[in-house]
Amino acid sequence: MFFALTDEQQAFASTVTEFLADRFDLEAVRGVVEDPDGDGHPLTLWKGLADQGALAVLVPEEHDGLGLGLVDAQVVARALGAGVAPGPWLATVLAAEALRIAGSAEQQSRWLPALAAGETVGTVALRGEGGAWDGSGITVDVNDGRLNGSASPVDYPAVAGLIVVAATDASGTPGLYLVEAGASGLTVRDQHTYDGTARVGALEFADTPAEPLASGDTVAVQALLARGAVLNAADLVGVAREALTRTVAYDRDRNQFGVPVGSFQALKHALADLHVAVTMAEHAVLFAAHALDTDDPGTAIAVAVAGSKASDAAWNATGAMIQFFGGIGFTWEHEAHFFYKRARRRAPLFGSSAEHREALAALTF
Amino acid sequence: MDLTYTAEEEQFRQELRTWLAENIPTEWTRPGYWATLSDTESFEKRREWEARKTAAGFSGIQWPVEYGGRGGTPGMKAIYDEETVRAHAPQTVNVLGLTFLAPTIMAIGTEEQKAEIIGPMLRNEVIWCQGFSEPGAGSDLAAVATRGVLDGDEYVVNGQKIWTTNAMHGDKIFTIVRTEAGSEKHKGLSMLLIDMNQPGVEARPLKQMSGASEFGEVFFTDARVKATDCLGEIGQGWRTAMLLLSFERGASGVGQYTEFRRQYDDIVAQAKRFGRADDPVARQELARCLVELECLRYHAMHILTQVEQGKDLGSESSMTKLQWSEAFQDLWEAFEHVLGPEATLAAPRPDVDLSPFHAQDHWSRSVTIWGGSSQVQRNIVAERVLGLPR
Repeated sequence: MFFALTDEQQAFASTVTEFLADRFDLEAVRGVVEDPDGDGHPLTLWKGLADQGALAVLVPEEHDGLGLGLVDAQVVARALGAGVAPGPWLATVLAAEALRIAGSAEQQSRWLPALAAGETVGTVALRGEGGAWDGSGITVDVNDGRLNGSASPVDYPAVAGLIVVAATDASGTPGLYLVEAGASGLTVRDQHTYDGTARVGALEFADTPAEPLASGDTVAVQALLARGAVLNAADLVGVAREALTRTVAYDRDRNQFGVPVGSFQALKHALADLHVAVTMAEHAVLFAAHALDTDDPGTAIAVAVAGSKASDAAWNATGAMIQFFGGIGFTWEHEAHFFYKRARRRAPLFGSSAEHREALAALTF
Repeated sequence: MDLTYTAEEEQFRQELRTWLAENIPTEWTRPGYWATLSDTESFEKRREWEARKTAAGFSGIQWPVEYGGRGGTPGMKAIYDEETVRAHAPQTVNVLGLTFLAPTIMAIGTEEQKAEIIGPMLRNEVIWCQGFSEPGAGSDLAAVATRGVLDGDEYVVNGQKIWTTNAMHGDKIFTIVRTEAGSEKHKGLSMLLIDMNQPGVEARPLKQMSGASEFGEVFFTDARVKATDCLGEIGQGWRTAMLLLSFERGASGVGQYTEFRRQYDDIVAQAKRFGRADDPVARQELARCLVELECLRYHAMHILTQVEQGKDLGSESSMTKLQWSEAFQDLWEAFEHVLGPEATLAAPRPDVDLSPFHAQDHWSRSVTIWGGSSQVQRNIVAERVLGLPR
């Protein structure tokens, strides 16, 4: 029994964490947050991540990747969440996963090395406005190699060179399609998310030419959604842990009534419960990543548990961060809102906590 | 990540499964079977069965062979917990002795204590109780007032203990006693091993809100115990008690998950029977419980990993206690919420008996109190894990 990260995985986590602390700290994040019209994609950060293999982690070695698994990838996602780091990491990794899972050898050779090296930014469009994250919420149709419809919200579409789009064919079967930046009939509209650590847009397709992924069937769409759910949950867990750690550190020192406010049981018990919740969410993400890596028969349950628990943990920990920092935590100058807004933007992605719970009921009732 | 057990451990699982299949009567697997027996009948049946289990080599899984144990691995203990729950094996009758006292004796007991206490305990010839809590010393355990006064080579003990599991069946009781007159708090305490079969010891059952009597009260009136029947040194009872309680920490979460997950499935089946399974609110509430139970399972694997690596779990056990006790209680709250009025009826239909559900439901109120209440556990997590000031 070894339910833990290996020494190599821990070292990988430290590398990313230390890189962010040295080269892209909260002041740098603030620069991105306070420049809402910028592309939200600082190249120093992107190149640094690429140098560390953070973009290549899941790409097979034959395509210049590291050929590792989701347990390794969630290490990166957690570190990025903890650092509230901007950029299209998750979007690019998922686009590469779509190619790895469903692309032909030729498609993989063409795109994976560039995605792994960070030379091409990728993104995925798997759902339309108001839709569910289970394949049923797709609002793009495909006919004769042309896409029509819309997808929203999509991470970093303005900087993406390659978009993996889920679309349904005339028989209603979902599949995955490649669309290149600048394709005819493709419109990208910035949706101005309040989460300044990300850039999000809506896509409109009007007879946009698209190339089907060789085996981009329903199974591939579900596999991609599951991977998205787990890596998004990992980011949320990173956000939650860092929010809690910062709150605890502040409440150890902040004095009111002549004593540290962290000595009051009203705070202690809330923070203790959060610590348990965040720890359980960390376990759940680790287990779900491993389940996907090993094709565990309980994978569907594991993914839903991780998605639900991580969303709730991040939601609650970041709300508590503002509350337990007190008034300063409500100000623009404080960093609490970076964590809070990131948690709330990400919590509903790839299935909200409640949607994951409904999936659990459907799986066990 | 490697969530598999070794070949040797899986071999053990097969042996245990085979033995359990041959030694668990079918009627024992019926829901609520044990509740149909009187307390004494249930106790004697379990005592006899467990003695057979010991003879077959399936007790003291992780104990050294020299103490009559199997000398197994932590993984085997987790498998044992999982398989015995899966097979509907009854709970051990000597739980406090086996879980707490035995490992403490192995660690700090005298050679005489090791030789005289452990074997009979493992064979269920001697049933051990724990005498810690008192009416005035619950969460504040150091407030114990039961006192022992030296008279020759014996202590004379007076006082009262409460919440004593198996009080009516106990033969001996490991007891925190204030042996130094005028001492306060953690000082002047000793862990005395007192014979309950003597005139100065009286046990009375304590009827719980569920109607059952797992607990009792124990009164000491000039009870006598040899001064050498002390575990650890005289006056070092607090240290002995803390060591003893540290043995609660282990990988028992694997077995707990198996048990609670079965209860979840049973509750879902009742929700379906009473037409409540399509209600979106009910589905959300039960699924929320499942999330916490699955997290308990992952946490158990994490803890097992720590144990296998020989790491000190320290205050992490408080987190484990919070997770399992709160998740278990929430599950039974969900039972009430989801079933509504039917949840409150032992016989909502002629062919439906919900009394075993009520027993669990009401029991679930106790688990966030005993063994360190949730409030005490939160203080421990806040202060010793998060480092918040006292």
